[in-house]
Amino acid sequence: MSQHQQTYHRFSIGQRVEHGLLILSFTVLTITGLPQMYPDHMWGDLMIQAFGGIESTRVIHRIAAILLMIETIYHGGVITYKLFVQRVRLTMMPSWQDVKDGFQSLGYNLWLAKTPPKMGRYNFGEKLEYWAVIWGTVIMIITGFMLWNPIATTNLLPGQAIPAAKAAHGGEALLAVLSIVIWHMYHVHIRMFNRSMFTGRLSRHAMEEEHALELAEIESGQAPPPTPAVEVRRRQWIFYPVAVVITAVLLVGLYLFVTFEQTAITTVPRQDVEVFVPPARSP
Amino acid sequence: VIGSYRLRPTWGLFMALSLALLWFCVVPERVDASVPAPDSACKLCHVGNAKELVLPSGETLSLGVGLEELQQSVHGMHATEQVYCVDCHAGRRRYRFPHEANPAQNLQEFRANIAQNCEQCHVSGAVHNPGHLQVEDKTGIPTCADCHGGHAVASSKAMAADPVGTCQSCHQTFEDPHVGDVHAEVVMNLGSEQSCETCHSALPQAEDTQCKACHSLLTSQLTLISGQKVDLHVNPDVIAGSVHGERQVQGQLYQALQCTDCHRDQGRYGFPHPELTAETARELTIDMENLCQECHQEIFQRQADGIHGIALEEGEVNSATCADCHGNHDIQDPDEPRARVSHTCAECHSTIQEQYTSSVHGAALEGENNPDVPVCTDCHGVHDIGDPTTAEFRLKSPQLCGDCHANEQMMAKYGISTDVFDTYVADFHGTTVRLFEKQAPDQQTNKAVCYDCHGVHNILPANDTHSQVIKENLLVTCQQCHPDANANFPASWTSHFKPSMEHNPVVYLVNLFYQILIPVLVGGFALYVGTDVLRRWWDRIRRRKSSLP
Repeated sequence: MSQHQQTYHRFSIGQRVEHGLLILSFTVLTITGLPQMYPDHMWGDLMIQAFGGIESTRVIHRIAAILLMIETIYHGGVITYKLFVQRVRLTMMPSWQDVKDGFQSLGYNLWLAKTPPKMGRYNFGEKLEYWAVIWGTVIMIITGFMLWNPIATTNLLPGQAIPAAKAAHGGEALLAVLSIVIWHMYHVHIRMFNRSMFTGRLSRHAMEEEHALELAEIESGQAPPPTPAVEVRRRQWIFYPVAVVITAVLLVGLYLFVTFEQTAITTVPRQDVEVFVPPARSP
Repeated sequence: VIGSYRLRPTWGLFMALSLALLWFCVVPERVDASVPAPDSACKLCHVGNAKELVLPSGETLSLGVGLEELQQSVHGMHATEQVYCVDCHAGRRRYRFPHEANPAQNLQEFRANIAQNCEQCHVSGAVHNPGHLQVEDKTGIPTCADCHGGHAVASSKAMAADPVGTCQSCHQTFEDPHVGDVHAEVVMNLGSEQSCETCHSALPQAEDTQCKACHSLLTSQLTLISGQKVDLHVNPDVIAGSVHGERQVQGQLYQALQCTDCHRDQGRYGFPHPELTAETARELTIDMENLCQECHQEIFQRQADGIHGIALEEGEVNSATCADCHGNHDIQDPDEPRARVSHTCAECHSTIQEQYTSSVHGAALEGENNPDVPVCTDCHGVHDIGDPTTAEFRLKSPQLCGDCHANEQMMAKYGISTDVFDTYVADFHGTTVRLFEKQAPDQQTNKAVCYDCHGVHNILPANDTHSQVIKENLLVTCQQCHPDANANFPASWTSHFKPSMEHNPVVYLVNLFYQILIPVLVGGFALYVGTDVLRRWWDRIRRRKSSLP
């Protein structure tokens, strides 16, 4: 009984806040971005109107993009801290085992495998999603920069890069949205309602099903020995100054990203033309 | 016995003989009872050198009758039936002999009475002498004899031969207070078909013939208060040859318009014409504008709502009225030939028309009367011409260009791509402009429309060396809105090409990449999710079964 109600720590507060920021920025980017891809559809038209017209839709999209980029910088800092200071295991690293797990899982669904795979802290589905977000965000930031700063971009790249970036930005967006809707929604909302991203804890049942190896590890008490506090402090002394500098540089970069260029004049100048000019005639 | 006088037979015989003698002496010709009047008796006294009658007013009147003239007149030997003195001087006791005193107090009354004599036979007198009858003050108006003469009655034929002479007996000068010596000019030029009466008739309203009678003859100009001169001449042939002449339209015959169909306000255009209030020729033109309204109501209203109508209303007197574009009496089909349209606009907008003429559209119009190229009105509208500087016009303009440039049938003739509109709308500029057009048509946007790049009236073919959009000039064109644009920047515009391996291959490949990647990945996800749903459903049922007792 108690075993069934037992929950296991899964996500820290920081991770949950990060996820919240991601939900917010991703959702806003989606609902302001997709209508821009399909303005000729009625729903696109209506959504753009709901955001107060195309220009304000673009502004909202860009504000959400700034939020996503801040989150990306922060996430980079957190990962670096974990890797350098905490020296945690690389549980999110994809491996050959994940490919095998994926096929075994699919095989089980098709009655080709007898049992579903037993998986670790992050299973193949979660890794796929995490790296898809990383990949997608990088693509979106790069192509987004190109669309935001086309003149700066064409200083380095041929002009065609801009429409190509637009194509990639749209294609990648569509891919990301469809992945979230199909993959993410299914796995954490439909298959079972996984509240761990909000409560921080996962039920034993879900642990058994999705993270059997991790559960076994926890229950066997095979936690790695904690790093001595002195060592942690030494690493922090190195990490924090470097992190502050790098974060500052990135934030400056972000500021430049946003304000890099004035792409176009805000109003097309009105050309005054003398209208009433009867032809000159000899009297 | 009569009184104290005893009648004797000899006296009686003497009296009877004397009376008989007198009768035969005075009326010697009276031999036939059918002869109605004793003409000879009248003529016996009323000979050329007869006495004068003195009227109570002191005016004198000759009692002599020009018998020779009478004989030569229409009532004389040329008459189909002999007219005797008593045919006219009949029915009243005073013409009997001995004559009673003439009741006329003056010469005028005397003449007026004579008219009654004529009316015994010429009952059409009421419609006759009409101009004069319209005069309110009847004193001094001429009676029959004033124009036709008394005994020397002139035939209407003879009078028509010299109408002026007839009228001139009273109207010695033809001075019109309104048009000065215009009247004299008309009179000088009167044709054989026309007479004073042509204008001065009794018709209740002025009529075509009246108008044309004067205005076709007039060659002089009317001087306005401003000193400007306006033509008074109207050539009836010009009107007949205009759209308002008799014409066949789609098998239906339309009658020619009368002058008064347009110039209908009798107070303004009735005859004699009132003093003109317009001080300048322009004022006169504007004043005439509403003439068209009566028939062309809808178009007139559209024109009034258009930029010209509004400007006119706001006091811009140079703004075009109906007649400025269509002409007045010489109105022809406004778009026949098509180049006529731009020539008409050039009357006020000459510099713009010069630009247009040098453009690809204008050159084709002038050179070959091309039926496809837009003339001014195709883009600007006809009567309800809008202000082309508004946000609305700007936002709608791509659709305007697209109406022709997305028309495959039309563009095929010239080998022009019809992708231009779609590729524009697919691009950043076009997408934005379309959205503004749909959602905020009154708001300005800084995104380019067709004419920002291609030019407005001076559009050249995209491969013309002077074209704003040829590769060599494109950077300068982009820099109008993107001042910092560099040499690579123009290539970020896909030049209206749909991405392909030939044009913008990178864009094409990126699109292709996602066109493959998205279905493969999403299909894979869907496959996994679908099988997972089935398997979990299966497992659950089996578990439930196995947990049953």
